[in-house]
Amino acid sequence: MWFRPLALFTLVAGCAVLVGDIKTADAQTAQQKKAQKKALKKGMTPATPGADTTPGAPGTGTNPAGTTTPVAPPPVLGLFDAEVARYLKQIQDEKAATKTTPATPTKTTPSVKGSTKDAAELAKLIDAEIVRELAAEKLSASSRCSDDEFLRRTYLDITGTIPTADKAREFLDSKDSDKRAKLLDELLADPHYGRRMADIWTAKLFPIDSANRFVLKEPLHKWFEEEFNKNVPWNKLVTALVTAEGTVENNPATTYFLANRSVDKLTDTTAQHFMGIQLQCAQCHNHPFTTWKQTEYWGMATFYSKISVDRPKNANKGGDNTQIGVTEGNGRNKVKDFFPESTKTVPAKFLGGESPKVSEGTPYRPLLAKWLTSAENPYFSKAIVNRTWAHLFGRGFVNPIDDMLDENEASHPELLAALAQHLGTTGEFDLKYLIKAICLSETYQRTSRPTADNKDDKYKFSHMAMKAMSPEQLFDSLGQVTGFGKGGAERPGKAGVPKGTPNGPRAQFVNFFLAGAESASPVDYEAGIPQALRLMNSAIANNPAAVRTVIGSATKPEDAIERIYLATLSRRPTADEMKMLTDYVAKAGTPMTAYGDILWATLNSSEFTLVR
Amino acid sequence: MFSSRLTEKTRRDFLKLSAAGVFAPTLSGWLPVMAKAAAESGRKPVKSCIVLWMDGGASHKDTFDLKPDSKGAGEFKPIKTSAPSVEISEHLPKIAEIMKHGVIVRGMSTPEGAHARAKYNGHTGYREGQGGLVYPALGAIVSKELGAADGAMPNYVTIGGRSFGSGFLGPKHQPLLVTDPNRGVEDLKAAANGTQFDNRLGLLEKMEKAFQREYQADAIVDHKTTYERAVKLMQSKEAKAFDLAAEPASARAKYGTGRFADSVVMARRLVEVGVPFVEASLGGWDTHQDNFKRVKSLSEQIDPAIAALVSDLKDKGLLETTLVVWMGDFGRTPNINNRGANPGRDHYPRAWSLAMWGGGVKGGTVVGKTDKEGATVEERPTNAQDYLATVCELMAIDHTKKNETATARPITIVEKPKPFTSLIV
Repeated sequence: MWFRPLALFTLVAGCAVLVGDIKTADAQTAQQKKAQKKALKKGMTPATPGADTTPGAPGTGTNPAGTTTPVAPPPVLGLFDAEVARYLKQIQDEKAATKTTPATPTKTTPSVKGSTKDAAELAKLIDAEIVRELAAEKLSASSRCSDDEFLRRTYLDITGTIPTADKAREFLDSKDSDKRAKLLDELLADPHYGRRMADIWTAKLFPIDSANRFVLKEPLHKWFEEEFNKNVPWNKLVTALVTAEGTVENNPATTYFLANRSVDKLTDTTAQHFMGIQLQCAQCHNHPFTTWKQTEYWGMATFYSKISVDRPKNANKGGDNTQIGVTEGNGRNKVKDFFPESTKTVPAKFLGGESPKVSEGTPYRPLLAKWLTSAENPYFSKAIVNRTWAHLFGRGFVNPIDDMLDENEASHPELLAALAQHLGTTGEFDLKYLIKAICLSETYQRTSRPTADNKDDKYKFSHMAMKAMSPEQLFDSLGQVTGFGKGGAERPGKAGVPKGTPNGPRAQFVNFFLAGAESASPVDYEAGIPQALRLMNSAIANNPAAVRTVIGSATKPEDAIERIYLATLSRRPTADEMKMLTDYVAKAGTPMTAYGDILWATLNSSEFTLVR
Repeated sequence: MFSSRLTEKTRRDFLKLSAAGVFAPTLSGWLPVMAKAAAESGRKPVKSCIVLWMDGGASHKDTFDLKPDSKGAGEFKPIKTSAPSVEISEHLPKIAEIMKHGVIVRGMSTPEGAHARAKYNGHTGYREGQGGLVYPALGAIVSKELGAADGAMPNYVTIGGRSFGSGFLGPKHQPLLVTDPNRGVEDLKAAANGTQFDNRLGLLEKMEKAFQREYQADAIVDHKTTYERAVKLMQSKEAKAFDLAAEPASARAKYGTGRFADSVVMARRLVEVGVPFVEASLGGWDTHQDNFKRVKSLSEQIDPAIAALVSDLKDKGLLETTLVVWMGDFGRTPNINNRGANPGRDHYPRAWSLAMWGGGVKGGTVVGKTDKEGATVEERPTNAQDYLATVCELMAIDHTKKNETATARPITIVEKPKPFTSLIV
């Protein structure tokens, strides 16, 4: 399809910028945008067989109108040409292979001969693009982060918790030159990866709403945890959600519908979370900022019009909400409040795309899922790439991350397009692969210490953003150090609390720190006075048993202090810190009291609660 | 290449400018107009607001909008108040004495008939789930717009039960929750003794300085601000406001007894030290059964507490700058149901009342009017947005301002209101 040669071209144009030919790049970007808009109007659906086979030789690009624009071959200048050229060749190989085996409409991830998933190569592509932009902006890049920064950052980003003191010591002392890549593999294989991803996605798909007070959240969280740990490809995972049928007990993915029990909520959440588009305004009026018309909205909504979603029962009156779920109906749902007042009954139509042939007797949702999750959907792959980038960098290429309007242009449109394209084809929507590639990049591995000239940069990724721990990360990390909350195990509720309701210490802590918000900002420190009081004065940071556990068998103050630092901040104290703290211990009457004070201070420090 | 930054930046600038009233002609000069109006009336802007929330929904026909000649009149008789021609329930005799400082809004009419959704609407002005966002409650809005960013005291306190939070405004504007007024604030006391706590803070400060020097992130500064405020609160004399033991027994007695009376005393103490928003709630108003016995008993709790609050505020010179609001989820059905031997009234959002005292309101005013059954609003209907915008105007908060969500969506503080400020000041 045309999208691929364009992504390819933009990379070529990217090299041109590196040697100073800005005009080519701009013209190319404009052309790409125009083409994208056109394609959107035409409707990018899987039902356009052969799209992948549009001819396009290296050095030429074909836009959908069929005109060919010559583009200069990549100049053999610049630092990253070799890497980019390799990637270009890979794409060309893919294309050559695609020519001989045209993609069929049902295949969303064509298996292409000669293509491989190479995270290290993808990381280089990321770096080439980011560095090109930094050069254009005359921003310096911060240096490579230290091992302790990398260790704590990847642990929190991938598994949602800090490393243990033993793990920190082992990693910091390791002389293995490949230890960072090995750590990434280890963390991505850790079951806590699934929990971290489940925390993120459960919060998005299970809104805080009084209508959801009897809907069980835990089964969905557990399902996500398992699916992410199995690394089910993103397109398959979303398909399973969008087409879920059955009861909570036999298919927890149905919770997605139980927690969004009306056609408009389902339409909004599908567009927002899986396509990065905020459609909700178009429900009642034509979207003020963009081209979505009300009929587009209700065309999408029609795909959900035939399902029937059970109403959760009052669990306090004995309702068993594991036995409710979703069934596919034969006709339009008759339940009154499943449709809002503003409902317009229009034929099913893909957003910005065509109206598929539907028949009353067959379910609509599989059609929606197929279109939604196809590599050809211009939004689906971009949305997950943008989210994954934001997960790791604190902000996406496009921000707000779920507002990918044409008007809201990406900071690195070529890189976003190339990553999205790659993930949707060769990358097989493999999220662990995408995360590994990004984490292997020098861009991700920069220190969060700014340089004199890049301090104010928030857009070009010149240094790593300082992120704030989410309430879940904070709870799990505090638990690891102090034993508080027993690492997040959810206790069964008191009598009368329905089965599956998370009411243990982790859920309570998260609720207290979220304070009614759906999710915490990734980069802002948002805790207020009540949260600070709890961290300072409750048993969390004032537990003598925790001090003893952290100190272990250490007898010398230097060793004890080092253990506290490794356990909480995942690093050894600097010489200055060591001096200051050994003096502190010497002055204190009893060393254990002093260690308790030091542990209290590290747990309450911004360095603990921030992800550097 | 720069456009994403420009787009985002432009959007932010636009928000700032429109907040300042520069762009949109409908907004321009909003604050000067309010200030002028306030100056003309000699009214000072309200500095603090106390909302007394009647959890469950109070029966309007048995409190502030009696209809003795209607079909479902009920058992209670109206009595005269200190405001000419304003009558209220016979079980609110002390409140009757302070009605010359108060306003009754009898035309409330709201869209939600289920408790949780109604409370959400009454606190935020939005309907739950609208636009896929969680909206801030009035207290969080006041905290954001008027609260001191670095003061010792919190800007939003709720007493006696869970309330609505800060939604997309983030945890900084979350209420400090006092579950039991007699126990004060949770975690307010340091676990270590005074010297040891100071030592700990000394260590923390050294760590923070070194970290900030190297990493220079805004989040480090925000963390410092929050911790400093929390420590200030722990050590401040203002925090005494949370300690009801410090209130003389004779002064407490006139508020009545029980948790609600204690909550109201604490609310007054907090306002005295400058807290801009306090909410105290009283449960038990969901009187589907045994309405009259229960409403009488509840009335006997609110009557002394509110009367004492208003008269104390007046004596302390704070009534003009403090607005006291009495309201709940919704009203209750004009007819009496037939649930058993002691029937009651069911949920009724279509017509109900709220009351306000202080805040420079024109005492004795009644806004809105229901029909002879108390079933429909015949004059000047008002909804949650109208009420919230009115409180904002009294507090000199520009309710047309747009605040940004975490994902940079601009959201108006109050959407499309018809404030009734001009009728009550």
